[in-house]
Amino acid sequence: MTLPNTGNVAGRGARGVLRFLGLVALGGLTGGLAALAAVGFVGAVVWLNDLLLVSPRGRMMFAHPEWLAMATVLVPTLGGLIVGQLHRAIPEGRPHTPADAIAAVQTRRGRLPPRAGALSALSGLVSLGAGASVGQYGPLVHMGASLGSAGARLLRLGRSEDNITIACGVAAAIATAFNAPLAGIVFAHEVVLRHYALRAFAPVAAAALVGHVIAAEALDRGALFHVEQLAIPRPWEFGVFLVIGGLGALVAGGYMQAILGVGRLARRLPLAAPLRPALAGAGLGVTALWVPDILGMGQETLRFATIAGAFGSVELAVVMGLKLAATALCLGMGFGGGVFSPALVIGTLFGALCGTLVGLTGGAQDTFVFYAICGMVAVTAPVIGAPLTSLLIVFELTGSYALTTAALASVTLASPIAAQLFGRSLFDIQLLARGLDLSSGRGRAVLEDARLGDLLSQEGVTLRPETTVAAAIHALSQAGHGEAYRVDADGRYRGSLTLADLEVMREQDRGDAPIADCPATPRPVLGPEASVWVAMRQLQDMTGEAIAVVDEDDTFHGVVYESSIARAFLRYGDELRKEEHGAG
Amino acid sequence: MRARRLWAVMALLSGLAAGGMASGQTGQTSPATGTGPLTVLSWGGAYERAQRRALFAPFTEATGIPVAVARYDGGLAALRRAVAERDVPWDLIDMTRSEAMAACEAGLLEPLPAGLAAPAPDGTPAERDFVDGAFGDCSLTHSVFATVVAYRTDAFPGRRPTEIADLFDQRRFPGPRALQRTPSVNLEWALLSYGVPREALYRLLSTRRGLSLAFARLAGLEDLRWWETGSTPVELLLDGEVTMASGYNGRFFDAMAHRDAPIAILWDGQVQEHEVWAIPRHAQHAEAARRFIRFATASERQAALTRHIPYGPSRHSAMQGVTTHADSGIDMRLHLPTHPLNAGGAVIKDDAWYARTRERIGELFRAALLGETGND
Repeated sequence: MTLPNTGNVAGRGARGVLRFLGLVALGGLTGGLAALAAVGFVGAVVWLNDLLLVSPRGRMMFAHPEWLAMATVLVPTLGGLIVGQLHRAIPEGRPHTPADAIAAVQTRRGRLPPRAGALSALSGLVSLGAGASVGQYGPLVHMGASLGSAGARLLRLGRSEDNITIACGVAAAIATAFNAPLAGIVFAHEVVLRHYALRAFAPVAAAALVGHVIAAEALDRGALFHVEQLAIPRPWEFGVFLVIGGLGALVAGGYMQAILGVGRLARRLPLAAPLRPALAGAGLGVTALWVPDILGMGQETLRFATIAGAFGSVELAVVMGLKLAATALCLGMGFGGGVFSPALVIGTLFGALCGTLVGLTGGAQDTFVFYAICGMVAVTAPVIGAPLTSLLIVFELTGSYALTTAALASVTLASPIAAQLFGRSLFDIQLLARGLDLSSGRGRAVLEDARLGDLLSQEGVTLRPETTVAAAIHALSQAGHGEAYRVDADGRYRGSLTLADLEVMREQDRGDAPIADCPATPRPVLGPEASVWVAMRQLQDMTGEAIAVVDEDDTFHGVVYESSIARAFLRYGDELRKEEHGAG
Repeated sequence: MRARRLWAVMALLSGLAAGGMASGQTGQTSPATGTGPLTVLSWGGAYERAQRRALFAPFTEATGIPVAVARYDGGLAALRRAVAERDVPWDLIDMTRSEAMAACEAGLLEPLPAGLAAPAPDGTPAERDFVDGAFGDCSLTHSVFATVVAYRTDAFPGRRPTEIADLFDQRRFPGPRALQRTPSVNLEWALLSYGVPREALYRLLSTRRGLSLAFARLAGLEDLRWWETGSTPVELLLDGEVTMASGYNGRFFDAMAHRDAPIAILWDGQVQEHEVWAIPRHAQHAEAARRFIRFATASERQAALTRHIPYGPSRHSAMQGVTTHADSGIDMRLHLPTHPLNAGGAVIKDDAWYARTRERIGELFRAALLGETGND
């Protein structure tokens, strides 16, 4: 029996605890910075909206109707022009969004680029300030994530810590913007990290708490949907909430498809990418002359949609359709900004429409707000792929258990239906289009992102096609390998040979023949950019030592040994397990 | 230098002033001090009585300058006319901050110098002693008053209104209502009754949809009386002509304290507003008016005013000096709109919003509810 070395364990434990506490402190600090950035961002948007005659308050306080009409068209157009120029300075030519933060964490790449992050935040600020129909939470989340990643880089921490600080920034941004710390924590885990490791939980919770405290101090404003005391829905109404969830999934799908569809159409427009947002802004402004509800984030519209009788049913459908179209136009044509706030408005209008229709068929109107909230959750949860976060937002913002259970009924159907039909979230759909498939979880994402480059070996035996079989056998024996790779004078790959193939030739007395005549063993090859995931797939179908790495011109780069692929596979798996299941 | 110029101006204008004074004004005549009385435009009734006792009389005692009071019911039309004709019969106006902001922007008021307000007794500079937003370009907040709903305590046996939505609930709280014939306060309450949070009020009132919701709520009231003078709602309640009425909290307190009126105040939804001192452009005794402002906004005078009428002092130091009612001994703190027990459901009136929109909102209000079209 061996006794554990208690002293050693205690020492490691104490160091581990210290290190862990340091990470929690860093989480809190990140949270503070992200929260302050969020407060500044939100304040700047409000200020710009008032100044640029976007917000209803600013518009009402401005007395000249002709100038107001001109500003309504000009402000989004010029805003679009500025946004287009900003995007030219970002390598991808588009603003970075929460999807980029998710990709960085899911692939364990981390290290969000600070310059693109700052430009994206600025683009979001200009877009929102100029009244584009986009959301503010996307830019806030990405800004928090960038700040977190910058902190980890500054302190030269590992990728694991980088991921956690990204999640901290995200949690703080949500906690501050909604003044909902629980929703912030769950959002970071549910959407960004996609695991619930204790090691990540504590720093993320610290960040959300700091964000909450700062929000309570700095953002002196009421809840987004504060709700007065409520009637309790009748039992049959929960059935309606379920149906609203199912239909809401379709609305969410339509919303996501519209954004992606406009994006595809925009690429075919005979208009340079930097000019496209200006076109969208002009279209938005002209429409807003008749329906100003579609300008900006639409918080007023959201509030009215929770009041029974504020809209007629036709009006609800029209405003909902226009808001959806306006958001798709703005985001698809390249404005910066998020998808969440417009989804809140569209969903609430949708819920209000359902509530109004139920009211028309004899249902009571005292539970109207339940319908509005159910619609809101049914549309937003599938869009951001976060049913739990959506529920918590409802709970923290309304403080109403009755509303939360109604929302639960709605989200029960909404999220799975939308996930089946469209994808887990708009972010995942966008990332899939960029070649990152998150549908099989993080294990696959990490392996898909891991490149073969550093596994490449030059130790494989390469032979010219004119080498004789005997010389080839000799060379292989000398090197102690069972496989050789034919590479011609131009460095092009000409197939693989195994020792067995060569021995067969020699037994047929063709030892002097050039190996060019030897029938090659059919072997898969890998491109230099291939991922560990692809390599692992190839290994399933072959037996052998290594896979040749060959580029598009057939140029031979080297080989990757099976054993190093397997080692990489295990190492990435271990790292993930450590990150997702480690306690400290 | 300054004083000499003042005397010259005074001498020059005293004749004019006396002429202007004579026309239709209440108020005391000046003893022959040579400076002419300081003419203050104020709101009459219990409020004016309190000001006389706590501010005007002590000011005359301290400086020898008599104070005459002219009656004011809000609005800028008379001031606009007087300034245009350069014949301004008042030296000082006790007005709401939103109207002062609009008047200041229209150039109807004299800018106030920095450092006008005296520091607190303990030496705290005035900037830190006053409530936020007290210092305007042309105005200085002297108190925070509230427009509240009061109701007859005998009108609803077995229940009491507890929230502002009850004003519009004539099923549970039956009887006629009396509201001020202005958009302000009414629009806020109407929208609050839909469950809108206070913080979102003015954003929502800035939309056509919000305004039409508010107008619809007001139009739904049966037996609605419109009042224009601050004393009217008290009388309507006392005479039993209405069961609920809006009004200034000080007037309702006065009726409760001095006349034993069977009324109570519903503090939920109270709309707090800054009441300011402002000097009209071309005022004849501008220097004396500035002197008065400094005198009347001192902590001690502000606290003294609360012994007569429960309006919240604009200085933190004065708030600490609030004691009891001079006549009845009632603890005044509980009757101030700014007391934490009362301020829980308070709406802070968005003066900047009203300063910019009052004419347009007023037109919409009159067209929607009074069936009128036309101007001020």
